[in-house]
Amino acid sequence: MKIQINGRWYEAREGEMVLDVLRREGIDVPALCAHEAVEPYGACRLCMVEITHEDWGGWKGNVTSCLYPVEDKLIVQTHTEDIIELRKTVLNLLLARCPNSPEIQKLASEYGIDTTSFVPREDADNCIMCGLCTRVCTQMGFNAISVAGRGYGREIATPLKEAPPDCVGCLACVKICPTHHIQYEDIGTTREIWGRQFELVKCKQCGKALITREFADYLIENRDIPADYFDICDDCKRSGTARDFKKLVHWEEKEEAEEEVSA
Amino acid sequence: MKIDSPDKLNAWKEECLQKDAKLKKKVMVCFGPGCLAAGCREIYAKFEEILAERKLGDITLESFKKTGCHGLCEKGPLVVIEPEGIFYNRVRTSQVKDIVEKTLAKGEIIERLLYKNPKTKERVLKYHDIDFYKKQTRLALRNLGHIDPDNIEDYVMRDGYQSVAKVLTGMTPEEVIDEVKLSGIRGRGGGGFPAGRKWATCRGVESDVRYVICNGDEGDPGAFMDRSIMEGDPHSVLEGMIVASYAVGARDAYIYVREEYPLAVQHLYQAIDDAKEHGFLGENIMGTDFSLDIHISRGGGAFVCGESSALMKSVAGEVGEPRAKYIHSVVKGLWDKPTVLNNVETFANIPLIMNKGGDWFRSIGTEKSTGTKAFSLVGKVENTGLIEVPMGTTLREIIYDIGGGIKDGRKFKAVQTGGPSGGCLPEDKLDLPVDFDTLTKAGSMMGSGGMIVMDDHTCMVDVAKYFLKFLVDESCGKDVPCREGLYQLHKMVVKVTEGKASEADLQLMEHLSKYIIMGSLCGLGKSGPNPFLSTVRYFRDEYLAHIIDKKCPGGVCRDLIRFEINDKCTGCTACIAPCPVDAITGEKDKIHILDQEKCTKCGACYAVCQFDAIDII
Amino acid sequence: MKPEIDVAELKEIISHSPQKPSSLIAVLQDIQRKFHYLPPEAIKETSSALGVPLSQVYSVATFYSAFSLEPRGKHTCRICMGTACHIKGAPMALEQAEDQLGIKAGQTTPDLRFTLEVVNCVGACAMAPVVIIDEKYYGNVRVDKMKRYLDGVRDED
Repeated sequence: MKIQINGRWYEAREGEMVLDVLRREGIDVPALCAHEAVEPYGACRLCMVEITHEDWGGWKGNVTSCLYPVEDKLIVQTHTEDIIELRKTVLNLLLARCPNSPEIQKLASEYGIDTTSFVPREDADNCIMCGLCTRVCTQMGFNAISVAGRGYGREIATPLKEAPPDCVGCLACVKICPTHHIQYEDIGTTREIWGRQFELVKCKQCGKALITREFADYLIENRDIPADYFDICDDCKRSGTARDFKKLVHWEEKEEAEEEVSA
Repeated sequence: MKIDSPDKLNAWKEECLQKDAKLKKKVMVCFGPGCLAAGCREIYAKFEEILAERKLGDITLESFKKTGCHGLCEKGPLVVIEPEGIFYNRVRTSQVKDIVEKTLAKGEIIERLLYKNPKTKERVLKYHDIDFYKKQTRLALRNLGHIDPDNIEDYVMRDGYQSVAKVLTGMTPEEVIDEVKLSGIRGRGGGGFPAGRKWATCRGVESDVRYVICNGDEGDPGAFMDRSIMEGDPHSVLEGMIVASYAVGARDAYIYVREEYPLAVQHLYQAIDDAKEHGFLGENIMGTDFSLDIHISRGGGAFVCGESSALMKSVAGEVGEPRAKYIHSVVKGLWDKPTVLNNVETFANIPLIMNKGGDWFRSIGTEKSTGTKAFSLVGKVENTGLIEVPMGTTLREIIYDIGGGIKDGRKFKAVQTGGPSGGCLPEDKLDLPVDFDTLTKAGSMMGSGGMIVMDDHTCMVDVAKYFLKFLVDESCGKDVPCREGLYQLHKMVVKVTEGKASEADLQLMEHLSKYIIMGSLCGLGKSGPNPFLSTVRYFRDEYLAHIIDKKCPGGVCRDLIRFEINDKCTGCTACIAPCPVDAITGEKDKIHILDQEKCTKCGACYAVCQFDAIDII
Repeated sequence: MKPEIDVAELKEIISHSPQKPSSLIAVLQDIQRKFHYLPPEAIKETSSALGVPLSQVYSVATFYSAFSLEPRGKHTCRICMGTACHIKGAPMALEQAEDQLGIKAGQTTPDLRFTLEVVNCVGACAMAPVVIIDEKYYGNVRVDKMKRYLDGVRDED
């Protein structure tokens, strides 16, 4: 099927969301809570676009492109005056929530906002409540963290605000966080995240810390990975292969030399 | 006893009527929310106590009924003696003995317990003759105050479950839906979506399973209609749900009711048990192959669960967080199955529509808003209570004829409808007919039926602040415009009430409101700025008075007012003790002195002064 | 000062509902009704009994206003903040109660004597503003009356 974006026609596939097409085609629409690893959520509202269709009798609407499924001949406008104003308002509000976040500052400034018009949050941190961390945690099957409370006081928390028993220290939450708010620390062979400490599995050859024991065990048990897979790190595995390869090459060289000698 | 045919139901009804006719008198003690608060339990207990000691001829304990809300909460606790309809109000436990000895034993009327018409000052004997009741049309509230909600026989006697018999044994689901469509009934939960169309869509979706849900999560502060129906006439809700389930093809239905309404939960459980016992629920209802179970889902207290997608998540035991509804819940709802969701009042109307026909229903009300609407009429009005009027009745008729006008002869300022998502309408809108479309056009909405009357002692900025605070607390917090936007909007309204805002702030507030509406995910956010927008639309002067003159015309915002004692003070000392900070001093018969430094502007002195000697400046 | 929780009793309460995830809210309500709050043990027991991840139980427990994760006071003072009560002066009564008890709405005094709550409309609008102390309703509450009522409860103890 085809959809029209800002006057040009693009290919789209059944089951895709409008944002998927926008991203594939490199059309610049901001989105902070959408990530290909997780289901769309519709929380940040930045990816809103205006849609209409020739069959809709002139009806137009604003929808979150991350949640709106494509349909043939859908007509999308990504930068109407109202949409731009909405994004400005959202960024203005996010800047009040997270005044110190470089990512938010940068995005806001792209929309011409350098300081917030609103009251900045006291004790502000860099969490924009996009929920990517909790969603990826659920997606991974761990459910270690979740949203707690509601309204303005809503927060990302571990159960009972204690060290989360279901966390395996996989760092998916850290990696997906768009504002780099979630912190962790690896000291020697220990990883600390969400107030919990994990022992790291060391490479048997080079001794480098690889992965938490819990995460390794989980992967071995659930993802059909060989039990010895995490004994050696990828680098050592690669250099091991190289050594083997070298041996093979050298062996051929040796053979050749011997042949020459015999000749 | 299983009632498995219309004939059996009619025979049972006959039996119930005969049994009832044997009760020479019935004493209805109102157990509505207002009367409960006013102490009706003690009244009832006193009747029991006296009856235990004393024989009263034909009148036994069976004659005493705990009913649902009778309506005129203002005058509670209420005791009504049928069949005459003798209406005793503000009854005290000490007066119960008199009621037994005089009225019940000898048929004497106790004058001082009768309702007094505030205009004519005359006592009125029967409730039918009280203006408050005379001007109402009670359909959804038809049984409230007239039956014992825990007694299924009371319900059957008043045509209970007749529509189930009629529909299941004589109509196809399509015919039922057509009748509902014909009636024109629109959902009473707020939005006003035509119920018949919703049912038809649900039935039309290809699916092995469909659900019906009754929304009893009335979360509006200042509204108690649905609660009163669930408490006072639970079977009518079940009956409507049975008809709906048959029409759409549901095998299981749910009632989502607040845990904070324990009496509603209790009566619904009882009603479901009784309905099951008599075969109105369960397998093969009315001897047909239609089967249905109704389950109770107790809500945990979250206003956002009024939003259908949030409510369905809550029924499934999850956090009530709405999702984007590009696919409607009627297509993909509870557990992703097609689901019909209507509210309590809508379901309570269904049996009547089935029994009397869609044409009859649409003859009441207006063309586009058919039937009646129940309201909880509260605030600064003489007759606070639960009312029901035909759609199209004007606000003025409701407030002045039924409500008896503004309390203490003060001046009307605004009426708020639609709860936190609604708005405030000023005096020049009083002649608007109350229907879905007119209220929306005027910048408010029907909502589920809270109607709060405000007098000149109300500050409209303060009202906006109040509703915004409510919404900030109740937003689920999922999306940015609702979570952050309403929070900031509330902060700015607070700034206005403190006299610290500028006109530029007002513009920013209007701009922000526009984009909260456009950007929010669900109805809570989309209508969230309404309390601000409707007040600023009709009462802009009041905002400007706070901003420019640093005055609060309503005399409410404490940063902008002060209390002063004027020379009408008689020196009665009545205001001295109530002051919690001892700011008032003075001797008897001398004008008292108010220490502005100490005064916290709590208004306690103002409330007790009998001589208008305290000014709010 | 958290009260001791009988885990057997907890299990007994949980067992009343079908042991499936959709029972979560009902189970937590039953526990809340019994203990007047959700002890940590309850969150954990419910999670394992119903097969709902601990994080989801916590999420639900903190989302709905019916639940409290803190122990409640011996007495509960509930101030109705319905619209009718608001315009008739409930905020003043609330402020008085907050000052007098030294806590904010939703909190419990450190001595576990009082819990102060605001509720949205109890349907007693005719008596607005309404305050409910330990199930007893007080109508037309002014600041001075509020003070008296709370003092009265203290004196009884």
